[in-house]
Amino acid sequence: MDNPLTPEQRLIILASFISAMVLAVIPLPDSVQLLRPDWVALVLVYWCMAIPERIGVGTGFVAGLFLDVLYGSLLGEQALAKALLAFLALHFTLRLRMFPRLQQALAVGTLIAISDLMVIMIKSLVHGMPPLWSDTAPMVANIVVWPVVFTILREVRRRAKIS
Amino acid sequence: MGTFLGWSFKRPSNLAKLIVFACASVILMVADAHHNRDARLVRGTLLRADHPLQELAALPLALVHDASRDLRLNGRLRQENARLRARERRLEIKVSRLATLRLEVAHLRALLHGSAIPGYRAGLARILDVGSGPFKQRLTLNEGKNDHVFIGQAVIDAHGIVGQVVSVNRDTSRVMLITDPDSGVPVISERNGLRAIVFGTGSPDGVKIPYLTVTADIRPGDIFVSSGLGGIYPPGYPVARVTKITSNPNLAFLKIRAVPLAHLSYHTHVLLLWPRAHARTQGTHHG
Repeated sequence: MDNPLTPEQRLIILASFISAMVLAVIPLPDSVQLLRPDWVALVLVYWCMAIPERIGVGTGFVAGLFLDVLYGSLLGEQALAKALLAFLALHFTLRLRMFPRLQQALAVGTLIAISDLMVIMIKSLVHGMPPLWSDTAPMVANIVVWPVVFTILREVRRRAKIS
Repeated sequence: MGTFLGWSFKRPSNLAKLIVFACASVILMVADAHHNRDARLVRGTLLRADHPLQELAALPLALVHDASRDLRLNGRLRQENARLRARERRLEIKVSRLATLRLEVAHLRALLHGSAIPGYRAGLARILDVGSGPFKQRLTLNEGKNDHVFIGQAVIDAHGIVGQVVSVNRDTSRVMLITDPDSGVPVISERNGLRAIVFGTGSPDGVKIPYLTVTADIRPGDIFVSSGLGGIYPPGYPVARVTKITSNPNLAFLKIRAVPLAHLSYHTHVLLLWPRAHARTQGTHHG
């Protein structure tokens, strides 16, 4: 169970996070911008689910820090949210694995929504930005996109024999 | 279980890790919100690592942007090309008109330069129509009775006498050229003052000088200028140059051919001459 990752496997996981971050900041038209899923969150949840011994709160924190810098948001904002998300994902790992795909998508969407609430709270506390209904759009997008992300990453994981 | 510097410790629980990282996050946030130097340092370091990522993210958009710009540029160039082509054609036409205009200006300048004839005032007239046949050498001008043109008025150009007005309408007038068979111009030889009359032949480039006897002192190349006799043409203005003299012993007179000096078949403007007594009251000439 506790077999260490080879450098190649580490590289693959890193690449998946980097891809997610690129997707997270790639410029999009304003109309599509609202529906952009939280790619990093999805990837993070997947890896937490797949290899909870390797990927966890620390990974979430670091990924969140990088996201903070990319977004230009308050340093630690996304870090806190992603650490929380990783914790939740780890906590529900076994159950998430057992769920059928649709239920899994809803559950993952809910977990990410909880971490997003964290961000919204911080924003309204620090910047005085009121929560908007448009903040919920990415949450819906997450649920829709999850099965795709799950399928792709599972394929990647199997090819790379990461377990 | 793990070991760290000889200490054995339990792997920390996820909750413990979350608490640690959450504290770290909060500290970072507070520090960042207060523009702490260390927080800025952390951000700068991470930003350096993030830079290639941002470049990568900007790449597709940059490519699309470049492509669309190229396409737009292409379209614009095409349009511009077509526009410039049309413009070039227009300019070419203008340039060719310019050449004729330049010629006309030179001609007009010559006309005006030569128009300082004492006792007369000159006015430009445009040639509307040229009616020439074997027995008619006529011009139609764009000046008529309204412009105070009168029958018998002399018409000249920069090089010599052109003819005289033979009929006047309201806004146009007809000019009989000196090459018309009906035309006769009293002349005087520039060389020796020999008087003669230049008659038209009906051909646009030849006149004749009849009624000169074989004893007359005349040579090819002699220039005949108007004598002013008869009162129609101003005196001293070039009329014709002798080209050929044939002497037939059976005839009393010499057969003399000459060419008119006025450029009868060139240009589009001629000068109408008003004797000072008949000078127009209004001094405007439209040509």
